[in-house]
Amino acid sequence: RVVPAGMEPGQGALAPAGEQQGMMEDGKVHSASGLFAYLEMLEAQAHEAAVKQEEIEQQEEKLAMLKKKVQELRLQRDELRAKVDLQGKGQLGKEGVMSEPAQPSSQAVLEWKIKSVKAMLQIFYLTGISGKLTKRGVCFCISTAYEGTYLDSYYLDLLIKPEVQIYRHSIPVFIPLEQIAKKYLQTDIRRFLSVLSDHLNAYVGRRFQADRLQEQFPEQIEGPLQRNSLCNLLVFKYYVSSKSKTFSLTARLLYGDLCHSLPTEAIVSCTPDAPASLAETAAAHSDLFRRMALHKAFRSFSTAPES
Amino acid sequence: MDESVAEYIRRTILKIPREEIKTMLQKWGFLSEAQLQTINFHQIKDNISQEVVQLCEENCANIKQAAVLDVIYNHIYPNKRMWSVYQMRKTGEETEFFDLTDFKKKFKKFLRSALNNVTINFREYEDNAIWIRVAWGTPYTKPNQYKTSYVVYHSQTPYVFVSASMLRSNLPLLCQALIFASNYHDIREMELRSHCLNSLKDIVFKRYSQNFQTYCPRPLQERSVAPETDLRIIQQNRSEKERIQRLNQELFGDGPLPKLEFAQYKLETVFKSDPKMGVLDKKEPFRCLVKFSSPHLLESLRSLAPAGMADAPLSPLLTCIPQKARNYFKIRERKSIVPGSFVSP
Repeated sequence: RVVPAGMEPGQGALAPAGEQQGMMEDGKVHSASGLFAYLEMLEAQAHEAAVKQEEIEQQEEKLAMLKKKVQELRLQRDELRAKVDLQGKGQLGKEGVMSEPAQPSSQAVLEWKIKSVKAMLQIFYLTGISGKLTKRGVCFCISTAYEGTYLDSYYLDLLIKPEVQIYRHSIPVFIPLEQIAKKYLQTDIRRFLSVLSDHLNAYVGRRFQADRLQEQFPEQIEGPLQRNSLCNLLVFKYYVSSKSKTFSLTARLLYGDLCHSLPTEAIVSCTPDAPASLAETAAAHSDLFRRMALHKAFRSFSTAPES
Repeated sequence: MDESVAEYIRRTILKIPREEIKTMLQKWGFLSEAQLQTINFHQIKDNISQEVVQLCEENCANIKQAAVLDVIYNHIYPNKRMWSVYQMRKTGEETEFFDLTDFKKKFKKFLRSALNNVTINFREYEDNAIWIRVAWGTPYTKPNQYKTSYVVYHSQTPYVFVSASMLRSNLPLLCQALIFASNYHDIREMELRSHCLNSLKDIVFKRYSQNFQTYCPRPLQERSVAPETDLRIIQQNRSEKERIQRLNQELFGDGPLPKLEFAQYKLETVFKSDPKMGVLDKKEPFRCLVKFSSPHLLESLRSLAPAGMADAPLSPLLTCIPQKARNYFKIRERKSIVPGSFVSP
């Protein structure tokens, strides 16, 4: 998608690019054919909303099922542990020869070892920071995620001698890597990794929210969504409907803390000629943006009953 | 509509391949869909461009609007230009909140205050790339729309990609405008040039596959085993082939490499010969320029050792290109007891 350029005022307006849906251009219905088109659009919107709702429900169901499975496995593990303890204690009491349990084949042992190592590596990967020793140092992999969705992985190849230094990496250039390294790399490598991981996770989280917003609410956003590489400043205009009239609000979200994916400042303003109730809505939205994820905030006031 | 604007639009359309003209006009958005329907896109380009110019006349296009079409063209065909990379530096450590409106305002203000006659256009793209087109004039002449500079900048990064087909005298002004607008302190040109803009981005943004060693729990992609052509053929050098492949993988990684067209090495080293041969009377640096050219230099370097044309591992002077982000090198004599050469920073 291409965003139309910012033109000087008074130079003549450019017609919006073809990609922009024409739905919000003209809310009025002119003729019978227009009415049908409008009804069709409403139907399509309702269908889309239903599909999205179904997806969300499916995901929640899956999550609940996995949680239940985790519980069951934990129970199983505790039972087995108890058994092992019991056996151990039981054996200590006996004198004489302990009955040897059946020897597992070496093949089975090897398979079990491989399986448990793979599981261990998978756990490390899931924790978000994993590493591997290399010839000259360590290579770390920072995997990011946001609210249940796994996102990109970034790599850091470190040398240990003569001092800890970064040999090469795949960290995006707008993350302040040099600053973080200057502060912590030599003194506290754990803290270095933790801070870097926070930066990366917050960045992908902000980017995820901005992408979802553009993807899920294209009709509600007016014009382009102004963002930057770090996604720490978002400026956009959006529509709200109140008493079957649509009003335009401008939001300016500033993410002051690069380690967080929620804005530190959310200014929502309306045009000077807007009704007073709109100012209240703007204040409520501002609060909402500071408390919850951007796309979720939009979902909450999009589906809320119109006042 | 100005005659020069009409001519400019006409010439821009002529550059576009015929099949792409309609899509580009749609992207431009200056002519309505209804107007576009009236154009016959199957005739020769000369006629298409005439029709387009006529419609633009109806809409009273000005040069700034015409320039947008040029930006769209260059964005789709960036490889027709030569791009250099500049690096900016700043001393402060505050978090940057890059505000696009602010950036554009400052850039325009700086250029306009120095030079009245400039045409400046901005266009933003989904990947946070800001394209800037500048047509330069003088205090006495209108901007020359055919010798434009293009700047591509990704916010909150210290790198700027510049394609400057213009008088070198305006380059410092452009650089100053960039650091002023983006709140940096200084800017220098890197020794990295290519026609392929995306590859330059890949190199400085480290987007190419760098073959990191990790315990990746993703399943290893089964390398497609080529079926044995003939069991009577025995590979005698199998271990050597495998060694070369392993080294190549360590040096170049597995994935696609950035596309560079050349690497240039300026040698200022002393010619070393058998003292008995005495080729040179004085121990002067033997000035020599070695240039490697290729449609895809790094890919050809990767295939040198497996093809048997060079020993593996390749010289680090060749393999360091993506990591050092440069393809212009100056090699001087190392001033130490051990003879050798070092690469200047």
